[in-house]
Amino acid sequence: MLDLAKTRWHPIAAGYDLPLRHVFHGQLLGREFAVWRADDGYVNIWENRCLHRGVRLSIGINDGRELKCQYHGWRYSNRTAGCTYIPAHPADAPARTITNRTFAAVERYGLVWSAEEPQGEVPEIPGLAEGELLALRGIPVNAPADVVAARLKGYRFQPNAALDGKDAKVAVEASNDFTVALRAVEGGAATLAAFFVQPVDSNRSVIRGVLDGKVEGAARLAVLRHHNELLSALRVAVEAEAAHKPAPAPLEPVIERVSPELAEMPEETKHGRKATIRVQVARKWPAADGIAGFELRPIKGLLPTFQPGAHIDVHLPNGLIRQYSITNGPGESDSYVIGVKLERDSKGGSTCLHETVREGDVLAISEPRNNFPLRRDAVQTLFIAGGIGITPLLAMAQALKNQSLAHELHYFAQNEAQLAFPEKTSTLGASLKPHLGLSPDQTGAMLREILSGYGPDKHVYLCGPGPMLEAARHIAAEMGWPETAVHFEYFKNTNVIDDSTSFEVALARSCMTLTVPAGKTILEVMRDAGIDMPSSCEQGACGTCLATVIEGEPDHQDVYLNDAERKSGTKIMTCVSRAKSARLVLDL
Amino acid sequence: MITLYDYELSGNCYKLRLLMGMLGVEWKTVPVDFYPGREHKSDWFLKINPLGQLPVIDDDGLVLRDAQAILVYLASKYDASGTWYPRDNPALLGEISQWLAFADGITGTASAARLHDALFYDFDVEAARAGAHRLFRILDEHLWFGEQEGRNWICSASQPTIADIACFPYIMLSEEGGIPRQDYPAIRRWCDRVKRLKGFSVMSGVFPAGPAKAA
Amino acid sequence: MTQTRCTDQVILDLWHPLAAVSELPVGVVVDTVLLEERLSLAADSAGKAAVWRSRPEIAADNPVDIAALGGTLPVKIAYGYVWTSLGNPPADIFPIPEYAEADRRRLNAATLGVNVSAPRAIENFLDMGHFPYVHTDILGAEPHTEVKEYDVEISVDRDEILATRCRFFQPMASTASDGGADVDYIYRVPHPYCSVLYKSSPLDESRLDVIAVFLQPVDQEHVRAHMMLCVLDEDNEDKVIKRFQQTIFGQDKPILENQFPKRLPLDPRAETPIRADKSAIAYRRWLSQKGVTYGVIPAAT
Repeated sequence: MLDLAKTRWHPIAAGYDLPLRHVFHGQLLGREFAVWRADDGYVNIWENRCLHRGVRLSIGINDGRELKCQYHGWRYSNRTAGCTYIPAHPADAPARTITNRTFAAVERYGLVWSAEEPQGEVPEIPGLAEGELLALRGIPVNAPADVVAARLKGYRFQPNAALDGKDAKVAVEASNDFTVALRAVEGGAATLAAFFVQPVDSNRSVIRGVLDGKVEGAARLAVLRHHNELLSALRVAVEAEAAHKPAPAPLEPVIERVSPELAEMPEETKHGRKATIRVQVARKWPAADGIAGFELRPIKGLLPTFQPGAHIDVHLPNGLIRQYSITNGPGESDSYVIGVKLERDSKGGSTCLHETVREGDVLAISEPRNNFPLRRDAVQTLFIAGGIGITPLLAMAQALKNQSLAHELHYFAQNEAQLAFPEKTSTLGASLKPHLGLSPDQTGAMLREILSGYGPDKHVYLCGPGPMLEAARHIAAEMGWPETAVHFEYFKNTNVIDDSTSFEVALARSCMTLTVPAGKTILEVMRDAGIDMPSSCEQGACGTCLATVIEGEPDHQDVYLNDAERKSGTKIMTCVSRAKSARLVLDL
Repeated sequence: MITLYDYELSGNCYKLRLLMGMLGVEWKTVPVDFYPGREHKSDWFLKINPLGQLPVIDDDGLVLRDAQAILVYLASKYDASGTWYPRDNPALLGEISQWLAFADGITGTASAARLHDALFYDFDVEAARAGAHRLFRILDEHLWFGEQEGRNWICSASQPTIADIACFPYIMLSEEGGIPRQDYPAIRRWCDRVKRLKGFSVMSGVFPAGPAKAA
Repeated sequence: MTQTRCTDQVILDLWHPLAAVSELPVGVVVDTVLLEERLSLAADSAGKAAVWRSRPEIAADNPVDIAALGGTLPVKIAYGYVWTSLGNPPADIFPIPEYAEADRRRLNAATLGVNVSAPRAIENFLDMGHFPYVHTDILGAEPHTEVKEYDVEISVDRDEILATRCRFFQPMASTASDGGADVDYIYRVPHPYCSVLYKSSPLDESRLDVIAVFLQPVDQEHVRAHMMLCVLDEDNEDKVIKRFQQTIFGQDKPILENQFPKRLPLDPRAETPIRADKSAIAYRRWLSQKGVTYGVIPAAT
């Protein structure tokens, strides 16, 4: 019977069990759940163990957007249950496949329903109308569900409107192993009571009762107490009965193994793979002067977990592929919101999005990639955004705000009308510092002011137009900021790429030597040879196609690596950079 | 200044640290090696408390023993708001006393089970656990109906009282005695509310709650 | 020979700690449990101890003359504890040379019961990443959460795990300054159920405090944790030092008791390691290589 029970929907909690910022400890057929409602109302039902070390997530913290494990502070996103941050390694973006097991959740009849392998729908109870009912207090019983359900068939109660009576006729309207529907009638009063018995474990159950009709005020409490008293008495009888029998062994739910790649200790950095997701433009609106906001919702299922700083590739109807940062705050996982600036010298990307793409259109996007990860171990974090460079930094600032970590978001723009996403920036309060209409010289002076006072464990994140980024990096260096504390992301690579050289590339792990001729990139040659290498912008700006250099001298032409990384000669962006030496050996 | 004769892992001592923290009262600690040293049965300590039990406070010469009694004293003397132990509300005082006695019941069961499991006290642990479950069922039902009536705390006041403080520690520590709280969702929600009170502090074995949603 | 419930020969052949000598009454029987076996032990006034399988005629709390007892189990006194074995133990218990240094304070911080397997408790002892979250404002504090790269080796000749170059930010790291700083740690796992930690001494930069956890496996999912301290401290009373250590251990307890499954899974795909878990990964491999099955969920073969 219990095998069959896995495919059926069972209530695992009542609506009142999930107040905001609480984690409910649930269980069904032996399997424990951590159940929590995010501030956006979404009900998450997760396996009750952190994937890292098996600690129960029901002792974790629901911050409204994410669930935080008490042991090592790992954060898991609303909806997707994907891990968004691992504090032990603040510089790394966690592999997005670290995703906790989730279970279906449906709210019905004032109860929260789930199933291990659901088939069909939540049971339909004729006579119970959504919103016109009263959920009773759940009664945990130390007895098997079928024993409890059998007992409930003999449950006697008074209709809501005749609580003081004694002679209600009660008839069983429907019943099965887990459900008993009873109708009590006395005089003109009648009440339908549906009891769903939640099989918690082989010898434990919860009686979850729902009555038809709404009752208000003192009468409501009287009805609740009436049933609580009767059900408590029923519990005493059932438990006495169950105590006479040998208790069945507890169920042992199978814990899924993690994927093989997660079982290995990850390398210091890890890049995503190609994947294409179809989304619909749910909303398109002017996010600021010259900037269009797009809200992208999945056609089906859930969007993958994102981290602040992540971007997606958007495949446009005209065949172009463009990268846009996700602006969402933590836990805002039902859609991705991006901002697109109409570029004056658009080669067709931003024009297409501004002019052609409309609400309701379907687009293909990649999984989010995070090559601009946010450390959260700084004593203070500065964000410096120029224009549309606000987008990744907005996501980052919201993440720090959510964790109450010290930060300032300096937002440079021509005028107030160009400040994008006011509805998001306004939630940042005093940490948002707009700087409007400054000349290049004034901008430099302001950057100097902002970047004065470097101290240990301070970090700065820069995103904006090339000249401003250059200036800010320069000033930061002057003011004593070490390169490791200065993080940046360019929109594009404005360097003139010299692809006139020819050289050899040896792929150490693939045992393959390739020749890169003039006019072709390392990435293209590798792809021709059947090597699957992730890439995104393919102009040396986003960091996706990074490879490790074992031997040889790279000729860096990207804008992703910082000077120290360039000097070390151990990393290369394979989409634009080349070799100064005749041969490069890559760890691929 | 108040001197607290204290053992870190004692839930009864924690009750006083908790309330003093919430009231903003300063105190100094005299550690007592309850375990393994059994210092609470030593000659010097028996002179302070012949019952050989923790906690004890000394407030400028006034020496008091018994956690619940000290809660009454601290709230009466140091709570300017008068909400933790409202001296002018006899009905509420009656309720508080009733639940302070209930807290003693929790100590006699849940705390006993914990002492058995963690410190190897020779108690009938099954009886202690069964007793704790009986009390938890009663409290869960009480708190559930409280929520339905718009009441957040154990007693029928709009503010928490020392009854909440007295019941909290050994409920939070019950799992250390093999008493899960999974079947008491209303108790679990009330624990979150206690943890979000201003001035709340933790002890070993008790984690803080996350931020409440801003209204 | 009596059949024991534990059939793991590796574990049976180990020395296991039972009680702190300082806490044993002289000449009186004390009962305990090791590997699901009821054992009794007693010490005499000369500091000798005897351990035997419990017998109805020698009940707990009664006087006993250990010199007159026959049929006792192997016994050793080491690091302030009585150790025994239910199998054929090696000649020596793993070395902790610092224990012999005369200027150190040596004490049992406490023996505490924990509802967890011994290997889960060892793994927690090796872990630094939880300091800011579980030992908040004592051993760590947000936002300083990074576990920096460290080295781990399985020493073949000594058959133990060694993690070196470990550092973690500690608020109020020394008595000399108010601010926090990185503190150095070295971890050893010289025994499947015992671990030894070396930590920079706040008093003397050139020396290390030694803190060890010796776990007595009561059964596969319950331990008695004996916490040994061997530290440089001239100022504090014993009870103050003990209180600190009990506070720390008491903070770990609810984590350990909420880990599922309670036994340590050795299947590499049971949980998700990160780089910070290098020492734990080495420990799991080492247990697998030794063929330990007690207190773990062995990997499917």
